[in-house]
Amino acid sequence: MSTLDTIDFGIEASLQQPAGLKTFSAAKHAKLASWAIPNRKTEAWKYSANRLGLKAESREDIAANSAEAATQIPASNQPAYELDCHTLLICNGTIQSDLPEVEHLKVLRFEELTSEQCQQVANGVTASSDQLMFADLNAAYLQSGLFIELAANQSLSKPLKIIFQQQGKQNSFPRVFIHVGKNAAMTLIEERSTESGLDANELAAANNCALVNSVCDIHLAANSQMNYLKMNLDRDACKHIASTGVALMRDARFQSYCLSLGNQLNRHDLVVKLLEPGAECNLNGMCVTTGRQHVDSHTSIEHVAPHCTSNENYRCIADDKSHIVFNGRIHIHPNAQKTLGSMSNKNLLLSSEAEIDAKPELEIYADDVKCAHGTTIGQLDETELYYLQTRGIKLEQAKLMLTLGFVLELVRACPVNEIADFWEQTLTNILGYKA
Amino acid sequence: MLEIKNLHASVEGQEILKGLNLTVKPGEVHAIMGPNGSGKSTLSQVLAGNEAYDVTSGSITYQGKDLLDMATEERAREGVFLAFQYPVEIPGVSNLQFMKTAINNIRRHRGMDEINAAEFMKQAKAKIEQVNLDPAFLKRGVNEGFSGGEKKRNEIMQMLMLEPTLAILDETDSGLDIDALKVVADGVNALRAPDRSVVMITHYQRLLDYIVPDYVHVLSRGQIIKSGGKELALELEAKGYAWLGIEEEASA
Repeated sequence: MSTLDTIDFGIEASLQQPAGLKTFSAAKHAKLASWAIPNRKTEAWKYSANRLGLKAESREDIAANSAEAATQIPASNQPAYELDCHTLLICNGTIQSDLPEVEHLKVLRFEELTSEQCQQVANGVTASSDQLMFADLNAAYLQSGLFIELAANQSLSKPLKIIFQQQGKQNSFPRVFIHVGKNAAMTLIEERSTESGLDANELAAANNCALVNSVCDIHLAANSQMNYLKMNLDRDACKHIASTGVALMRDARFQSYCLSLGNQLNRHDLVVKLLEPGAECNLNGMCVTTGRQHVDSHTSIEHVAPHCTSNENYRCIADDKSHIVFNGRIHIHPNAQKTLGSMSNKNLLLSSEAEIDAKPELEIYADDVKCAHGTTIGQLDETELYYLQTRGIKLEQAKLMLTLGFVLELVRACPVNEIADFWEQTLTNILGYKA
Repeated sequence: MLEIKNLHASVEGQEILKGLNLTVKPGEVHAIMGPNGSGKSTLSQVLAGNEAYDVTSGSITYQGKDLLDMATEERAREGVFLAFQYPVEIPGVSNLQFMKTAINNIRRHRGMDEINAAEFMKQAKAKIEQVNLDPAFLKRGVNEGFSGGEKKRNEIMQMLMLEPTLAILDETDSGLDIDALKVVADGVNALRAPDRSVVMITHYQRLLDYIVPDYVHVLSRGQIIKSGGKELALELEAKGYAWLGIEEEASA
């Protein structure tokens, strides 16, 4: 059986590793031998394994390319939208030279961490999960990463944006750990972009683009709060695998808005653990694919403690020959009485050749809980179509408007207006809507 | 402008309109009154082109063309506008986007260029203020989370933006307080012109204090049983439908 440790990712694991995390990384590296390279029989990768293009020792071309590692950060990094925020740039796995100085916010490279901080990183949600093989892979090839800590009782006035940028064909495995102190609040934006330098034909060869396998572990202390906005600006140019792990302590609140645009592969594993009473999470996702793109969202909400609330709302639209996978898991542990859980997943197929695989997964081991879930393949509402037609809008266009509205309903609820506007414009362009 | 002859229409197999006749000339305002279940809303839906309603016989001529032969959106592009009794909520489609799309469809139909973005915003802001709604409503989803009165005012706002030739108001005055009613009436009055006509379907004479009609018709059991001037509405208000031998039906 071919296992993950037999793949050459073109990254040297051992050289510049932060000393305090060597043991952690080595343990994960050893674990790779127990992970089979995902194939169609791997449950969590059933629909996406063929998009990975991973074969034992298959990446020599990439390895050769990594010699010219693009460690230089481009001078003009023009943002696609205007937003007043703090920005951290990680390009091809390399952290930008100057880290921003923000009051009450500690931003450290992994090399600078104390052993206690290293322990926090090693105890992160994705690090301690035994389900996330790509988070393990990330840890195994750990080079550097960022440790971010917001002091207790502080509210970050501007959003913090972390950009995972990719240039050329080099694979990269960036990692971030964020601790939000007691009663503190912040907005985190995770943005992915690619400058592949490849032309359309090269991109068409799926195996020719880079793999970006990132991890973001978030720890929310008691009564703290985070808005988490995740998006990819690139389409077709990259294979993204992202793992986000969130631990919520007493009364902490986590709200996510994830815009997943199609790519060669765009996989997101979001694991949220409600560890103490009163914790609450709201997960929102919008997946839109065209052409032959592929998006795979796996979410997992762990209700560990009683009196916690989770809401989940994912909307997916697949056009042409594209493919979307949604797997939403809610796991209510035996102790988690008085849990309130709800999950809604609505899907629209715009073409007979598009495919959406939706799977809600509820595991309930407590007896006094409310947990609702619903998955639909959306039908456009006849009354709404008629109303639009009575204003002179032709049926085809009315359908398109409602299609777009299907995702914009969630987009407009995004707490950062500039991002909501930018997403709306992006989706309008993608779905070809014309006023 | 509009000529309805011997119109029979049914919904879900039940005949609602049973030989309705109505002629509306350019510049005229007609009020159609009648008790619940008399066919008022069926008439408005048939005029707008709701496919849930079957026209079994009769004809509707609009500006010399067969209205029943036109698709819903085509009627709108030719200048027919229906203010809904129950405006539809469309989460995710903003009012602005909705109106811009509608206006451009109508403009293209008339062989005009698409509306300039700045000009459109200027108009939209002016019209929404005219109906006394917060301009912030422009960015919200169509009627999404609006109160009943806000929805009705939004219908009037749309009417002012689209400048129809024939406006049909289906109980737009129902459920409105007096201030909102004035806003609606002012909107309709602003639209009055020699080449435009208005058909107001209403349950209450009160609206006619603010929009003075040229003709008032009483609809009962799918037919117009009495027509007259504005004084007919007052008489009806004073004496009740029983005066015309109409029994008020319990439900719509």
